[in-house]
Amino acid sequence: MVECDFPECNTFGSTIRFALELEKGAAGVYEELAMQPGAASGAEMFRTLAASHKKRGELLEFTRQQKLNEMILEPIQDMRREDYLIDTKTPGGLDVKGAARFAAKIEGQSAKFYLDAAKIAKDLMAEAARIMDKLGKENQVNKTKLDSL
Amino acid sequence: MALLSEVKKDYGKLKNYVNGEWVDSTSGKYIDIENPTTGEIIGQVPMSSADETKAAIEAAHEAWWAWRETPPITRARVFFKLKEIMEQHFENIARIMVQEQGKTIDEARGEARRTIENVETAAGVPTMMMGYNLEDGAAEAIDEEAVISPLGVFGAVCPFNFPAMIPYWFWPYAVATGNTYIIKPSSQVPLTQNYLTKLVEQAGFPPGVLNIVNGSHEVSDTLMEHPLVKGISFVGSTPTAKYIYKHSAENGKRVQAQGGAKNSLVVMPDAVLDRSISNMLASTYGCAGQRCLAGSNLIAIGNIADPFVKSFVERSKKIKVGYGLDESVNMGPVVSAKAKKKVIDYIDGAEREGAKILLDGRKIKVPGYEKGHFVGPTVIDGVTPDMTLAKEEVFGPVVGMMRMESLDEAIEFINKSPFGNASTIYTQNGKSAREFRYRCQVGNVGINVGLVAAMAYFPFAGYKNSFFGDLHGQGQDAIKFFTDRKVVITRWF
Repeated sequence: MVECDFPECNTFGSTIRFALELEKGAAGVYEELAMQPGAASGAEMFRTLAASHKKRGELLEFTRQQKLNEMILEPIQDMRREDYLIDTKTPGGLDVKGAARFAAKIEGQSAKFYLDAAKIAKDLMAEAARIMDKLGKENQVNKTKLDSL
Repeated sequence: MALLSEVKKDYGKLKNYVNGEWVDSTSGKYIDIENPTTGEIIGQVPMSSADETKAAIEAAHEAWWAWRETPPITRARVFFKLKEIMEQHFENIARIMVQEQGKTIDEARGEARRTIENVETAAGVPTMMMGYNLEDGAAEAIDEEAVISPLGVFGAVCPFNFPAMIPYWFWPYAVATGNTYIIKPSSQVPLTQNYLTKLVEQAGFPPGVLNIVNGSHEVSDTLMEHPLVKGISFVGSTPTAKYIYKHSAENGKRVQAQGGAKNSLVVMPDAVLDRSISNMLASTYGCAGQRCLAGSNLIAIGNIADPFVKSFVERSKKIKVGYGLDESVNMGPVVSAKAKKKVIDYIDGAEREGAKILLDGRKIKVPGYEKGHFVGPTVIDGVTPDMTLAKEEVFGPVVGMMRMESLDEAIEFINKSPFGNASTIYTQNGKSAREFRYRCQVGNVGINVGLVAAMAYFPFAGYKNSFFGDLHGQGQDAIKFFTDRKVVITRWF
C-alpha cells in the first residue's frame, strides 16, 4: 500500500501536488507489482514504468518552480479531486495480466487527470499545460501497452 | 491536506548585515515579528539607530570604488552565482514569505520567481549599461561619447506586501551597474530579506556591496539625509511616498517613490465573462488584496452588470481562505490586526454610505487559526463614484461593484482619480481596447489581464499619486536611475 495524500485541485500548487501524489502512488504500486511472483514475467516492465513515473515527478517539481507566473495565478474551480483518485492498494497474488489490468487503471485515471488539467491550464498557464498534455499522452500510451498484454 | 512545513518556528533576534558581517544592533530596541495566520511570534527585528545606519552607509561607500572598478562582466558573474543559489533555496524563500506575510504558497512561489527574474535581468548588465558614441561627433577629428557610470551608495525603503521581490526591483540593478547598496526591509516582514541576504553572502559579493539595516523611521531618515547616499527607492503608501520624495530631494538625492493605488477593472458587454471573472479573482483577492496592482473597483458597462455581479459573487464564495502553507488555500490573511481593522472600517463605511454588501468577509472564521487576521472575500454592490470606497485604497480583499453606461464614463472616472497605477479592460473589441489604453492616465494598462505586473525587463510604471519620480524600478529604467551619463569629447593632436 502506497500512502498518498491527494489534495483538492483548486490552485496551481495543489494541482501540481495532486500530480506529484499520482506519480508517487503509481511508482510505488509498480514497484510492488514488479515483486509479485505471479507477475514475474512483467517485472522488468513494471520496474521501467516505476522509474519513468519517478522521473515525471522531477519534471513536475521543475514545472512548479519554473512555469508559474504570479500575474495569472487564477483559482481553479472546475476540477474535482474525486474524479481522479487512483487505487494505491496493490492486491496480492496477481498474475501478469491481472497486474497489467491494475496498472492500466492507474494509467487511465492519470491520463484523464493530466488531459483535463491541461485543458484548464491552457487558459491559465500555457507552458504548464504543455507539460500536463505530454504527461497525459504518455499515460495513454502506457495504458494501451498494458491493455494489450 | 497536510500543511507544508515551516522553515523554522522561531527565527530569533535578527541581525543587521553590514560590511559583509552579521552584527547585532546596538540600539537594544526590538519589535516582534508575527505570523499573521497563526498570531505566533516568530522572531524579533531590531530598530536600528541613526549611528548604525551611518556605519552601514560608510561601509557601502568604502566598498564602492573597488566594486565600481570590477568589470561589468565580473559583476554579472556574481549575479549568475546568486541566481543558482536562489534556485536551490527557492522553496524556503517562498515558505518564509508565507510565514511572515500571510500570502499563499503559490503567490509566494510566484514572488520568488519574479525575484529571481530580476537577478537574471540585472546579470545582463554588460549589454544594458553600454554607452554610445559618435565619430566626428563634436567636429572633424573630434569624437564624442557618452559613458554610463555608477554613482555610489543607494538605498531602499521597502514595504510589507512583497518581502522578497520589491527590494529586488532595485538593488540588483544598482549593484550590477557598479554601485553599493543598503536595504531597509519592512519591519513587519524582515525575515525573507534576512534569508535572501545569507544567499547573497554565499554568492561572493565583496563586503559592503550590499548591506541590510533593519529598523524604522530613524533608518529611513538617515538614508535620506546622509550626504554619501546618492538616491533612494521606495514603495509604500502615497503620503509616505510624497514625504520620501520631498525629503530626499531636499537633500539632493535621486528618488523613485511608488505610492498607493485605486485600480479599476472595466467589464465591457462583449467581455468573455467566465474567463474574465477567473482573471479578476486573481486580481482582487491575490495577496488578500494587498498589492498596489489589485483591482478593487469593478466597473460593469451596460447590461452585462447583473449577470456579471451574480457570477462574480458566486465564484468569490468558492475562494478558500486559510494558512498559505496549505497548497489548496486560495487566500491568506491580511498582514496585521491593524490592517484588518482598517479593511473592516472601509466595509462598514461603505455600508453606512448606502452600498449593499453582497458577500461579507468581516466575520469569517478560519478553524484552527482563530488568532489570524482574516478578512474573507467581500463584494459590495451599488458603489458610486462619490463614495469613499470608490476613491480610497482599501488594501484588502474588498471589491466595489460599479455600474456605468459607457466606456467613456468609465475612462473619465479612472482619469479623475488622484491615483494612476493600473487599470484593466475586459473586452473582445479592439477599438474599445485601443481607446482604453490610449486614454487612461495610468502607468500600467491591462487588456484582459487584471494584474498588470511588469516583468523584470520592463519598468514597474505608475502615474499621478501612484509614483513620484521619473525613472521606475526594474529593467532599463532602473539602469538609468542608478547611473549617470558622462560625456567625453576626445581630440588627438
